[in-house]
Amino acid sequence: MKISFRINNDLSELNTLLDQLKLLEKKWSLSKKTLAEINLVLDELITNTIKHGECNKKHPIVISLTKTDQTLTIQIVDTGRPFDPTLCTLPDTSLPLEQRRCGGLGILLVRQFCEYWNYSRLNNKNILTLQKTLPKERR
Amino acid sequence: MKTTITKDENTTIFALNGRLDSNSAPQFEQQLQDFLVSPRTHLLFDFNNLDYISSAGLRVILNTAKAYKSGKYLFVTCAMQEHVQEIFEISGFDSFITIHRSLDESLSALKGRS
Repeated sequence: MKISFRINNDLSELNTLLDQLKLLEKKWSLSKKTLAEINLVLDELITNTIKHGECNKKHPIVISLTKTDQTLTIQIVDTGRPFDPTLCTLPDTSLPLEQRRCGGLGILLVRQFCEYWNYSRLNNKNILTLQKTLPKERR
Repeated sequence: MKTTITKDENTTIFALNGRLDSNSAPQFEQQLQDFLVSPRTHLLFDFNNLDYISSAGLRVILNTAKAYKSGKYLFVTCAMQEHVQEIFEISGFDSFITIHRSLDESLSALKGRS
């Protein structure tokens, strides 16, 4: 089962993302928890893409989700500036408040909720592929 | 996200409703500005109706905690939904931000604190 949709590099498109995921929740019988995790992963990566890409130039971001029995594969493709989020440094979550910085938290959350990810740059496109193991859910 | 701001004695309460993400965080930060620059009361975030938070939201929360760190007023949060609290825990925010189970618990903890 596969779905694919296209959004623009605009933060208001996070609402489009939510609408698309709500359709999937029914179609693929995903639990609220799983759906929220997928939402968060996509939100963080799309927000990064929008912020690191060329903000004043409109370009599309294509999101594909493929579900097999126990695995969800997420792919995000955009034509913005090259940006590899897998190289981001993760924050040290054990630091006291005074030393904490905001950077890297989004990527930390992505890594928490996905098991595998890979970045490649091909034909002037950023291609990010992630995999998430789905819990056994009742149908 | 919708924000309702009320006051209870020595505490300003921000009740957050909806989704705190990169789309809604800038507006929330704007609303908080005065409270962060010069705190005049304790600050309480009521998360009861907050359905979703991303790192953009956590950023605002971190800045709030930092603004209240050294002054005489306290910053506390309450009534987080389970998955929101999970995000706080993964990020390590629960080590420096007080999370009460309910609004009442927060209010009684803040009562009598100047």
